[in-house]
Amino acid sequence: MAEGQTSRLELVDLQLAQANRTVLEHVDGRFRDGAITALVGANGAGKSTLIQGIMGMLRPMAGKVVCSVPKERRAWLPQQLALDLTFPMSVEELVMTGSWPSHGALKGYCARHYRRGREVMARLGISHLAHRPLGELSGGQRQRALIGRTLMQEAELLLLDEPFANVDAETVEVLMTVLHEMAADGVTIIVVLHDMEQLARLAEEVVVLHQGHARWTTAQAVLHSQPTAAESARLALGIPGVGAC
Amino acid sequence: MLDTLHWWLTSPFDYAFMRRALVASLALSLTAPVLGVFLTLRGMSLMGEALSHAILPGVAVAFMLAGFSLPMMMLGGVLAGLITVALAGGVTLFSGLKEDAAMASLFLVAMAGGVTIVSLSGNALDLGHVLFGTILAVDSRTLLLVALVSSAILLSLAVSFRALVVECLDPQFLTLQGRHAGWTHTLFMAMVVLCLVASFQTLGTLMAAGLMLLPAAAARSWSSRLEGMIAIAIGIAVACSVTGLLVSYHAGLPSGPAIILLAGLAYVASIALGPYRSLRAGRSRLKANALPRRSQLIP
Repeated sequence: MAEGQTSRLELVDLQLAQANRTVLEHVDGRFRDGAITALVGANGAGKSTLIQGIMGMLRPMAGKVVCSVPKERRAWLPQQLALDLTFPMSVEELVMTGSWPSHGALKGYCARHYRRGREVMARLGISHLAHRPLGELSGGQRQRALIGRTLMQEAELLLLDEPFANVDAETVEVLMTVLHEMAADGVTIIVVLHDMEQLARLAEEVVVLHQGHARWTTAQAVLHSQPTAAESARLALGIPGVGAC
Repeated sequence: MLDTLHWWLTSPFDYAFMRRALVASLALSLTAPVLGVFLTLRGMSLMGEALSHAILPGVAVAFMLAGFSLPMMMLGGVLAGLITVALAGGVTLFSGLKEDAAMASLFLVAMAGGVTIVSLSGNALDLGHVLFGTILAVDSRTLLLVALVSSAILLSLAVSFRALVVECLDPQFLTLQGRHAGWTHTLFMAMVVLCLVASFQTLGTLMAAGLMLLPAAAARSWSSRLEGMIAIAIGIAVACSVTGLLVSYHAGLPSGPAIILLAGLAYVASIALGPYRSLRAGRSRLKANALPRRSQLIP
């Protein structure tokens, strides 16, 4: 990260383990505010483990995660949702739950909240689904509604685990636009990606996870200029590159 | 005509014991179905049923130590219920066994222990009272306790409503906000135990969960919205309580079972006729998805 750039999230000599097996060690680095950082690595490289560590769901074996973002402003969209789709809730109600953590448990929603909820749904192109139950949504519509919840939450740190998996092309475009806008507003975004084209369009910085270590580089380096970084990213992504058999 | 209506609908409540029974059952009808809606949405209906039996040993020990003292029996019931919830949670945490499986094992042991204790310390009448309840024997002190417990549960529900909704929908979201889903779950289970203990005096430990679960299960067939389900479940519970008391008075039937049987009828009618999650809804869906007849196919 260049001098003078601010960071709400820093990893200091972080070591993370799953079931007493070290998955990542000596992870050092800062995530730039207002930047989209792609997290890449082969299956089992530790992407989900790192996200769990950052979100405080996994206690580090050593080192620490320094995060100045308050909990109610941190959002995570995991690949495997714990969301109960049979729950009788509409899209609008789901989006509105995003305002709950900062608004408090006792106060009801006021007109300002509903207005903001409608703005968020319009931005994501889901206004016409406002009253539709969650169980009747497609994968893409559901993903838009969940991003809507993070927009309502006014998240300052957003972690997404393969947000474009199993969603339609139109949703990919909408989400790309919204994520760029959120980054422009100063939100720190970390996104797990497996697709080089999506990485090229979305991310500015890249963290490559490989053999238990993390390496910070730029999307440009991965895609064009630096063969070493590009090769390691390709290896991490499982994509055959120069010299591959 | 008016005289007949008066005789059927209002004259039973000329008696103080019927008025007390009415107020007690209405107080329970305002709280138990709300908890029942959350239980059914979480797929925990059988947990509620199991918990209603798990309070029995506490009630029985209190009965043995203090005789027929309702506050002591309620305290015993709450303690036994909370201990069972904690034990089931502990077994789940340390053995990996599902919470409902742990609860099913524990409630059977608790039920057998409770019946044995009551049999050893009392007589068949006492056992019948604990198992089946006697809503018509509710005195002013019991009524006050039921009203206090119901009010406390309603207040707790109002405060924790959003957390309960979010915990049902997406527990991970709640945990990430620093509001531990585990605490919300514990508070919810404590409310269920308290409600069951308040219900046992009127409906007995065998049927205490009836007013909680049957209206809630029926309401799922009439609304696809949470608020709608809660309102309909309360409506069904209130209607069944009032009608059950009247039927029991006029037909000389036991009141608790009359109320639960009516709730059962409401459930069957809802499953058959409701617009959602019912036989009718299933038939409509099948019709909509049916292949067109040969004559309707475009050549």
